[in-house]
Amino acid sequence: MNRPLDLYDIQGNICKGYGRFGFPKARYFFLEFHDSGFAREFIGKLLPLITTAETWPAEGLAGKPRSTTNIAFTYEGLKALGLPQRSLDGFPQEFKMGMKPRAAILGDDGPSAPEHWDPVWQGDRVHAWVSVNGQAKEFVEQRFSEVESLINQSHGGVSIRPGHRGPDGNLLAWQDASAVYENGKPTPKEHFGYTDGIGNPYFEGCGNNPQRLAGRGKLTKEGKWAPLATGEFILGHVDEAKEYPLAPEPHLLARNGTYMVYRKLHENVQSFNDYIDNLARDFDGSRDMLMAKLSGRWPDNGAPLTLAANDAEKAELDARMGQLKAKADDGDACAAGQLQALQARWIDFTYEQDKDGARCPVGAHIRRANTRASLETTKEAFNSPSALDDRRRLLRRGLPYGGEHGAATDESEQGIIFMCLGASLERQFEFVQQQWMNYSNDFKLGNDRDALIGANNGQLTDKHIVQADPQGDKAPFFCTHLPRLVETRGGDYFFIPSITALDMMAQGIVDPT
Amino acid sequence: MSNVAGKAYGMNVITPLRWWTAVWQKIAFSVAEHFPVKLKGLITLSLIHYARWTIISRNSFPRLEKSQPKETLNYSYMLFESNFNGSWDQYIDSFSFAIPTGLDFFWAWNIKYPKSIPLHDFYHYIRFNQVECDHYYNAYPLASANDVKSARSLFHNLTQFNAETHDLSDEDFAVAWKKLLVSNQHALGSMGEGPAMSTSRELVLDHRCTNHKISQQRQQQEA
Ligand code: HEM
Repeated sequence: MNRPLDLYDIQGNICKGYGRFGFPKARYFFLEFHDSGFAREFIGKLLPLITTAETWPAEGLAGKPRSTTNIAFTYEGLKALGLPQRSLDGFPQEFKMGMKPRAAILGDDGPSAPEHWDPVWQGDRVHAWVSVNGQAKEFVEQRFSEVESLINQSHGGVSIRPGHRGPDGNLLAWQDASAVYENGKPTPKEHFGYTDGIGNPYFEGCGNNPQRLAGRGKLTKEGKWAPLATGEFILGHVDEAKEYPLAPEPHLLARNGTYMVYRKLHENVQSFNDYIDNLARDFDGSRDMLMAKLSGRWPDNGAPLTLAANDAEKAELDARMGQLKAKADDGDACAAGQLQALQARWIDFTYEQDKDGARCPVGAHIRRANTRASLETTKEAFNSPSALDDRRRLLRRGLPYGGEHGAATDESEQGIIFMCLGASLERQFEFVQQQWMNYSNDFKLGNDRDALIGANNGQLTDKHIVQADPQGDKAPFFCTHLPRLVETRGGDYFFIPSITALDMMAQGIVDPT
Repeated sequence: MSNVAGKAYGMNVITPLRWWTAVWQKIAFSVAEHFPVKLKGLITLSLIHYARWTIISRNSFPRLEKSQPKETLNYSYMLFESNFNGSWDQYIDSFSFAIPTGLDFFWAWNIKYPKSIPLHDFYHYIRFNQVECDHYYNAYPLASANDVKSARSLFHNLTQFNAETHDLSDEDFAVAWKKLLVSNQHALGSMGEGPAMSTSRELVLDHRCTNHKISQQRQQQEA
């Protein structure tokens, strides 16, 4: 059993996806440390600006800051700050190596190979990541200037490392990110046109509304949803294997911190549209349905295929939603309740009734990314139905970037700044990326890869199978010659320290003795 | 020397048990043999192709030939052999996540067996007692056990289909073809090289490539 978490000691981005809390704009920038003393002093000055995980009201913007600030470090960054060797030695190997040397594991080949990454990632490793999220762009810029002036006061001890490819191929000193806007309003869309940001794990002590548990936690033997152990996502707490995650010494350095993956994932929007348009001609269903069969959710409103598996079911679902909404708006409490129950099914589902993938294809993106107990192919074979999934869950914290400048092509700058957090980069992110996105043995689909983010190369065998109902008269549908739709443009592995650890680092008193 | 061949990993673990508890362990195995439901979890873990437990009692430890002197052993030993697809961590993790009780049952009487949860004690136990492969061969390096199973069923069904559909009209053939596709839709994954098992493994493969290039250059020079 985990104790309640000290949310004031944990950085805010660990427990909250800021986008969901009304912060649609962000700026990420990367630091280099040139002098450990001045760099530590800078961190001390930045500390009061760091946003913690303290609970905010879920609705509205009252009681929330206008902008947030968080910081994380690479292994080289921790070294440059002068952490003692014994503390450094305690970090896991993949974190020490960083993302580039892990290319073979991550599928970063061809156009995604590190030599093609944005200049900021070339040469020596970046030392730190700073993120500023804001309720509006002006608040992001205000906070950015505040941090920038602290950097300017650091006597050259800290600098911003430029080299992010911007909209016109020009290089910028930072990476801006933003929700996609429609009719002047931020949406949960990404640039292929899907609704994103729905599925995320629920863990003990996270401070989120318990109503969010169903469909986000783990499945117990009795088939109930329970929160995942805190130690899956935050160091210094017991994990699903009933132990403390491997962590550096001293205890206070690691406790309430975690690891973060940062990846700039470029989306080849034109290739995507061409591919879908072309395939849709042969597909028995709408273009939207075909898109849903790749991702597992309908693009327009994110409804899962488990809830509506084809156009007819989707039309029915939309109609029902419309009716319930209208009634609820008229003050019908019963309809409001039914609407809420229906909306809960956006996330509260498993693939139990869909073993063949006739509704949600076995290789669909969300079914790969979070297998929701479907690897227990024989009932009651494992200690709990989701035993093979619980230690592979990812806390996603990304935002889209680019796409503001006219029609998107493959060359224009747009994609997702993918960030995900967890207590083990290797066991969680790297495993999902390698074994479930770029390989399919666990799904008995050979070497097939994820249609959206797999390292596909347009070959016949680069394919995704849309399974058919074994009792029906339809054939499965083959999406072959999948092109590389998503390319990696850079990234690294970061450690997000707790507030206590940041303070110790700033003072230079991290002591594993 | 490597424990890896193609998509497969070969694991041998040898662990001591007291000779009198070996009897209990044998009973445990015979229970598992007679109640295969105990093995349901193991069989559902599709990355495993093979797992075998053998108890070698302390006076029947094998010798290469009769002239090799008999050893006086204090313990009996349990030899665990397994072949699986994927990395060491992936395998041990799957065991520990999915079937910890089953594992504890199989190793129950082994000396210093720490139990499969917490995970890292179990990691250390297996690593410590693992015997590396001197030679490991794989006839189908591009195939996992799942791939082989899929290919076998596909081959069988396709052969049968071929025999049965010669005289069908175009319309009937189309219906039969659709049926064939649906009934084999889970056996149509692409085949290819397995994922990189580790950066160390990649390094070894890299070195082998370099060695090969060097020896080719040398041959060319000599010629
Ligand atoms: C540009 C790249 C990507 C795109 C366009 C994309 C798109 C999507 C979409 C549309 C969803 C469904 C919405 C939702 O459930 O929140 C989703 C869910 C998800 N994606 Fe991605 N994704 C991308 C990259 C990745 C990567 C690299 C990973 C991990 C290696 C990943 C892991 C997940 C996970 C864990 C979920 C939630 C699944 C669930 O809980 O049911 N995604 N993604």
